[in-house]
Amino acid sequence: MAKKVTGPQLILANRLDDGRAVFLTAAGEWSKQVADAAVANSDDELENLMSVAQAAEVANQVVSVTAVAADESGKALAPAHIKFAMQSRGPSVRADLGYQVSPNWEQ
Amino acid sequence: MYAYDTFDHALVNARVAEFRDQVDRRMTGELTEEEFRPLRLMNGLYLQLHAYMLRVAIPYGTLSSVQMRKLAHVARRYDKGYGHFTTRQNIQYNWPKLSETPDILQELADVEMHAIQTSGNCIRNVTTDQFAGATADEVADPRPYAELIRQWSSFHPEFSFLPRKFKIAITGAQEDRAAVKWHDIGLVVKENKEGEIGFEVLAGGGMGRTPVIAKTMRDFLPVKDLLSYLEAMLRVYNEQGRRDNKYKARIKILVEAMGVEEYTRQVEEEWEKIRHIPIDVPDEEVARIKSFFAPPPLAVLSDEVAEVDDLAAKNFIFKSWLANNTGRHKVPGYVNATISLKPHGGIPGDASDEQMDLVADLADAFSQSEIRVSHEQNLILPHVARKDLPALWAKLDAAGLGTPNAGLLTDIIACPGLDYCSLANTRSIPIAQTITERFDDLKRLMDIGPLKIKISGCINSCGHHHAGHIGILGVDRKGTENYQLLLGGSGAEDASKAAILGPGFDEHGIVDAVEKVVAVYLGEREDGEEFLAAYRRLGPDVFKEAVYGSH
Repeated sequence: MAKKVTGPQLILANRLDDGRAVFLTAAGEWSKQVADAAVANSDDELENLMSVAQAAEVANQVVSVTAVAADESGKALAPAHIKFAMQSRGPSVRADLGYQVSPNWEQ
Repeated sequence: MYAYDTFDHALVNARVAEFRDQVDRRMTGELTEEEFRPLRLMNGLYLQLHAYMLRVAIPYGTLSSVQMRKLAHVARRYDKGYGHFTTRQNIQYNWPKLSETPDILQELADVEMHAIQTSGNCIRNVTTDQFAGATADEVADPRPYAELIRQWSSFHPEFSFLPRKFKIAITGAQEDRAAVKWHDIGLVVKENKEGEIGFEVLAGGGMGRTPVIAKTMRDFLPVKDLLSYLEAMLRVYNEQGRRDNKYKARIKILVEAMGVEEYTRQVEEEWEKIRHIPIDVPDEEVARIKSFFAPPPLAVLSDEVAEVDDLAAKNFIFKSWLANNTGRHKVPGYVNATISLKPHGGIPGDASDEQMDLVADLADAFSQSEIRVSHEQNLILPHVARKDLPALWAKLDAAGLGTPNAGLLTDIIACPGLDYCSLANTRSIPIAQTITERFDDLKRLMDIGPLKIKISGCINSCGHHHAGHIGILGVDRKGTENYQLLLGGSGAEDASKAAILGPGFDEHGIVDAVEKVVAVYLGEREDGEEFLAAYRRLGPDVFKEAVYGSH
């Protein structure tokens, strides 16, 4: 059961092989950029996104699928909670590593 | 140091082959994540925020130069060119790929290393004094006993699924550098009146959300009884420790609930039942293991070295390094030398592949090819001739490894925190970086003297904040980072729990608060009085007034 949506949500997961944080897009694909993430604004939308995400989990593309609150107030879409915002960027103490280097940064 | 026999090699290699098969089956989908997760954790592989994290065991913090070079190679070949030395004397890699971890483990197995029991509810890496076998204040080298415990606990079928993880620490020195009183079981090597070696046995210590200092169960347990007694201790815990609530599952909760006297009574009762079955090893086996830790052949040298004194007289940084980062060895003319992994503004415990290679080279050149890892996240060259110190320090300093701050305010323990860890509530490393930058003046640091700051990014306490003279705990405050300030903890033989001083701060406020606390100490201290002693004498109010008075 999808939990009651109290605000916009996006779906975050880790890729199976390298653990990289990825975001579910409206097309049902996984993007390395949070800007591409689909935002659910209702219970139904979230349920639909979660079913796509969980199918990807079953298909061994991703693990650790999580719905997190989205912050749309700034210039760019971001997870609202500091933990998931960190996950979408990379370690703040190593600006040379993680997605903050470039969207195409590979592990 | 200990060398694998054919049995050890076969065991570790078999485990690598088994894990390779498990990873293959995960990648093809034959194993689900739910099925695979406990298997990867048994091999030290976690999934963190940005990637997998592999925790490699460094038994009792002892490494050869060959092993250190392999750790550097793994960092370079499979990771991002660095590793993180932890408060459990282990190393963690932050970016390994799942499909490559079997190759990493095979490379480690080739140099007698593994990641077994670095996760899960089992007996973890046994930790000890980083100066073991290389310090003047030691009754006996604790590492042979740590190795004995390692062999007994590895794949122990009865203790692979304990109520919760289990940590044992052992020290042979008078000064407790292994924080034994903060462990599930703590062992202190002692010598009785008859000259026999044995252990004071402590149980029920731990950090986490319920900090408890271990209590003594026995003042003296002979070596010959060590393993059967530990077996009895684990049996009582395994049977009676809580499994209904992970936050109440550690042995500290059991010992607190039943009282140390009752726990001891039950352990002794169990021990009587099992002590006659062959759990303990014969004297010859103890002697065989001890032989691996025989003192290195060091020719006695003079402690008076003019070149060292001359350099210290004209170079304040070297003089400070000599005072803080070297300690008395049991052999005249030698010291144990601490290589600080706490450069000001740097990441506590991190070392690059090049630094690891350099440390291996320096161990070959100056320290009998031996290296130690401390629970305070530094590296140690245990057997260095005093005459070699100027040459050693010059090479360390040139590589950013010569920070003269061991035991000082900037020698901060910090967990990886929210920069890497999926359990964390806040970042820890940036707080350590800002504090070390704020206290960058060496003369000021030397004036402040011994002061241990320990930072955890969540209540799990990997950063040992409960045992900090100044502890910092990160908490989640409505999705933002908030930091509590604690004072008065100790991980040493005078162990004490740090107490929260008052309301928390943001990341800037916590650093200001630390500075105010230090200012109170400097203003109030008596002649020669160190920070912790001053806090214990003064109590929290004067510090509280300074930190919160203007609010």
